Amino acid sequence: MPPVAPSTSRPLLILGYGNTLRSDDGVGPKVAEEVASLRLPDVEALAYPQLNPELAESVAGAGLVVFVDAALDASNGVELRPVKPAASSQMMAHAADPPTLLALARDLFGRVPKAFCLAIPVENVAIGEQLSLLAQRGASAAVEKVKALAAERAG
Amino acid sequence: MAKRIIIDPVTRIEGHAKISIFMDDAGNVSDAEFHVVEFRGFEKFCEGRPFSEMAGITPRICGICPVSHLLASAKAGDAIMAVNIPPAAEKLRRLMNLGQIIQSHALSFFHLSAPDFLLGWDTPQPKRNVFGLIASNADLARAGIRLRQFGQEIIEILGGKKIHPAWAVPGGVRSPLSEEGRNRIRAWIPEAYATTKLAFDLFKKTLDSHKKEIQIFGNFPSLFMSLVDAEGNWEHHGGKLRFTDSSGSVIADQLEPQKYYEYISEAVQSTSYLKSPYYGPLGFPEGMYRVGPLARLNVASQMGTPKADAELKKFKKFGRGAVTSSFLYHYARLIEILASIERVEAYLEDPDLLSEDLRADAGINSLRGVGVSEAPRGTLFHDYTVDRDGLLKQVNLIVATGQNNLAMNRTVAQIARHYVHGNDIPEPMLNRIEHGIRCYDPCLSCSTHALGQMPLQVQLVAPDGCVIKRVTRG
Repeated sequence: MPPVAPSTSRPLLILGYGNTLRSDDGVGPKVAEEVASLRLPDVEALAYPQLNPELAESVAGAGLVVFVDAALDASNGVELRPVKPAASSQMMAHAADPPTLLALARDLFGRVPKAFCLAIPVENVAIGEQLSLLAQRGASAAVEKVKALAAERAG
Repeated sequence: MAKRIIIDPVTRIEGHAKISIFMDDAGNVSDAEFHVVEFRGFEKFCEGRPFSEMAGITPRICGICPVSHLLASAKAGDAIMAVNIPPAAEKLRRLMNLGQIIQSHALSFFHLSAPDFLLGWDTPQPKRNVFGLIASNADLARAGIRLRQFGQEIIEILGGKKIHPAWAVPGGVRSPLSEEGRNRIRAWIPEAYATTKLAFDLFKKTLDSHKKEIQIFGNFPSLFMSLVDAEGNWEHHGGKLRFTDSSGSVIADQLEPQKYYEYISEAVQSTSYLKSPYYGPLGFPEGMYRVGPLARLNVASQMGTPKADAELKKFKKFGRGAVTSSFLYHYARLIEILASIERVEAYLEDPDLLSEDLRADAGINSLRGVGVSEAPRGTLFHDYTVDRDGLLKQVNLIVATGQNNLAMNRTVAQIARHYVHGNDIPEPMLNRIEHGIRCYDPCLSCSTHALGQMPLQVQLVAPDGCVIKRVTRG
C-alpha cells in the first residue's frame, strides 16, 4: 500500500466521535450525522464511537480534518482547537485520540493534514441517549461552524 | 519470604486486568492468577427489559466484539420465538460473523501481539508497540490495518455501521445486501489474501526463534471446545458443540448448544469478577477447557476450505493429537482469517445473498432461549428466560474470555515459573508474562460485561499480606 498520492482536491473530513449511550458524549457523532445529511460539497462526515486505526488512511487523504467531540472544559462555547500529531505514542489498539491518529496517518501514509478539534461544551455524560440543552445548542453551533469552514474552503 | 508479584495493568489487551504471581520462601513462583477488576452487571440490569431489546443492548458490552453479542442475542431471540429464520438471513448473519472474525483477529495479530514476536521481547517498551512495527515494517503495518478495515467494511456494508450495528434481530435481519455492497466486498478479496499470506510468511519465520515460547507459553493438557458442523468440521455460527482432549480424542460430541447447562458449569472466584466455566462431568478445576482459535482448530476435523485446510495440516504438526501451546493461538488466528476470507468469497457467489426475504415473525413461544455463536475469541452463549410478555426474568452470558480464565491462570503460572526468580522483575520478563495472556486475546469488557475502568497495579505481596514491591504500567 503506497503512501497517499497527491490530489488536487482533498475533502474536509469531519470525524465526530463519542458514546451515544452516554448522553452528551454522543454529541460528536450526532454532529457528524447532521453534517453528513447536508451533503455539503467536498465534505466527508463520519460518525464513530471511537477513533479507530483504520481511519488513518482517510485522515491522510483529507485536506483538513476536524475532530468533533464533547468537552467538559469548553467554557467559552464551541471552540475550534488546533491539533498536532503526536511524536510517537502507545495507542490502545482499538482506539486513539486525535494526536495519535494524526501520527498514524503520518507514519503509515506519509501525510498529515492540518487538523482541529471542535470541542462542544457538555454537562451530562451519564448513561442515556438524550443530549442536554447545552449540548444541543453546542451541536447546532458546531454544525454552523462546519458549514462556515466548508464555505471558506470552497471560496 | 514468600511474595506476590502483580502485573498491573496488562497492556495491549482489550480491557483491564491484573496478574498476581505468588512466590514462595525460596523465591520461586508457587502460583499465579489472572483476575479482572471490572464489574459491569449486564446480566442484572437487563432483567425486566423486553428480550427484543437485547440485540441492541448487549453489543454495547464491547466496542471490539459487538457483532458477536448481536448475533448470539438474535439467536436467543429466535429461540424464544421458536422460529427458523429465512435462509438468506442465516447466510447474511454468517457473512457478518466472518467479517467480525477477520477484523478481530487482524487487530489481535497486528496491533496487540505482533509487536512482541516480530520486534523481540527485549525491545524497549516505548518501541514495542504498533508504532515500532510501523518503523520496522511499514508495509506490514499498513496491510494489517487494511485487513482489519476489510472485516469492518463487511460489517458496515451489512449493518449500516462498523460498531454496534443494529441489524440482526430476533427472527432474522433488518436489511438485505445490495449488489453494490457485494461488489465492494468482492473487491477486497485479493488484497485480503495477500495480507494474510504476508502475515503467515512472517509469522512462520518467527517460529524457529520462538521454540521456547511454544514450549512454555501456556503449553499444558486441557480440554477444548467449539461448535462443529454435522461432519465435525470448523463451524463459526451454527452446528453443535464438541469437546476434545489433548490427545485429540472426542470426549463429547454433537451436544445441543441450547442445553449447554447440562454439561457446562460455572465457578465464581473471590479474587475476580470473571466467572470460570468448566466441563461439568469432570468437576472443577479438572474440567478446565479452552475455547477460541486454538480450540476450534483442535476440535474441528477439517476447516472445510482448501487453503485453510492446507494450513491446518501444517498447524497440526505442532502437537500430538491436539496442539496444546497457547502461543500457537496466533497461528490459529491466521488460519481462521484465511478460512473466513475463503468462505466470504464463496458466499458472495450465492444469489440467495441478495434476497429480501429476511424476517420471520412470531410471538413468545418459548420462555427460555439460548443463542450460541463462535465469537473470534471463542464460544459465546446468550441465555434468556422471559415471562409471557417477553420481559427478561433472567440473563446468563458466558463469554469466551471467561471460559479461558482457568487456562489463562495456568499460562501465567507456567511462564512466571520460567522467568521470575527472587526480587528481580525485569520489564521484558513482565512482557512475556503479559504476552501469555495476549495469546488468548481476552476481551475483558465482555467477560465481566462491565463498564468503567480501574487502573491495574502490580504488587509483590508476602504471605502475611505485606506489599514487598509494586510495579505499575500505563
